[in-house]
Amino acid sequence: MFYIHQITCISPQQTFSDIDLNILNDVADNKLKVIEPSYEGIPLNILRRMGKAVRIGVGSALPLIKQKPDGIIIGTANGGMEDCIKFLNQIIDYNEGMLAPGNFVQSTTNAVAAQIGLMSRNTGYNITHVHRALAFENAMLDAAMMLHENPSANYLLGGLDEISAYNYNIDYLSGAYKKEKISNKDLFTIDSPGSIAGEGSAMFLVNKFSKNAIAEIEALQTLHTDDIDVVKNQLQLFIEKNNASGKPDLLLSGENGDNRLTDYYTEIENEVAKNISVARFKQMSGEYPTASAYAVWLACMILKDQNIPAHAVKKIGETKKYERIFIYNNYKGTQHSFILVSK
Amino acid sequence: MEKEALKLQLKKQIVEFLNLMAVKPEDIKDDEPLFGEGLGLDSIDSIELIVLLNREYGIDIKDPKEGRKVLVDVNTMVDYIEKHRTK
Repeated sequence: MFYIHQITCISPQQTFSDIDLNILNDVADNKLKVIEPSYEGIPLNILRRMGKAVRIGVGSALPLIKQKPDGIIIGTANGGMEDCIKFLNQIIDYNEGMLAPGNFVQSTTNAVAAQIGLMSRNTGYNITHVHRALAFENAMLDAAMMLHENPSANYLLGGLDEISAYNYNIDYLSGAYKKEKISNKDLFTIDSPGSIAGEGSAMFLVNKFSKNAIAEIEALQTLHTDDIDVVKNQLQLFIEKNNASGKPDLLLSGENGDNRLTDYYTEIENEVAKNISVARFKQMSGEYPTASAYAVWLACMILKDQNIPAHAVKKIGETKKYERIFIYNNYKGTQHSFILVSK
Repeated sequence: MEKEALKLQLKKQIVEFLNLMAVKPEDIKDDEPLFGEGLGLDSIDSIELIVLLNREYGIDIKDPKEGRKVLVDVNTMVDYIEKHRTK
């Protein structure tokens, strides 16, 4: 599909500057919130208006847009939801009267890609995919199609979401998050429904050139279903189609500590990871719709450094040499993705 | 409210409404231009300030020409608030 040449990530862990994946920062109130950098590249007059989603999106994109990509392709389920709700509340509080525009400007989902484009004076392709928990996967698919049509181009590809009070409360009431307070270190040992909330922004500079690439996105598949047999069948087809050039040597699992979803991950593990290593990442990122972008970033780091942080290891397989990583992610048991990343 | 107290209150409101992260209310000079040089505000800020005057002081500025005369600095804003406030 395409190659990844540069990566950045703002997350609840030390992933942006002074990267150290062996340290696992703890959760507060079942929310893993991002460590925000100082955003030195964003003028204060622009920064003061940005909501968190826009800040982390632009902040993580800035180091990559120096390469002057031909377009910007972003996936986000909710964009700047916090600002959106502030704006909607204003409408009620002030009886549809005079409304401050700041929140509205930042509240649309495409504000991130737009702001990156404005700041870098990039007038190329600029699009935002908002397919809930498959938003990043659809952004990847778009990048693959754009690169198919324009093989000499470079694109900035990213996935991001923030924890907003509104979404957290709705998801909490629906049972998406654990009722009891837990540490992310215990995410996979506590047998209860729900996960912990997370947020983050991962950005990638992608093109069709294999030389000096960090990784290749070999294949991608998404599906909407809550039927575990459909997931298994689709997985078998995916394996048959993509295993010709070798089997994966690591399963990067989107397991999130929600015991209602364990069966999906167990089935996938049984299918693809009988003798290979298994690692997990949501103790680092928390659960959020575009967490698969974090998974792709982590896969790139593992391929680059040949090291899996100890807290992420679920099982060590026959080989510790990682050249092909299979990512399986699942959001609320209905949106699934398979991503194959190789060196 | 005394004029000096009103000026400080307005400065605090400007910093809060516009999220001026690096500015302390007491650092804003009474005659410092709000736009261009000085605080360096822009056109979106001017709408935010008009909303501020509406919400906090019950003042409704509809004529852009009038707005330009009012939103010059803290002194001009305070003079206008004293004359036209309804709350």
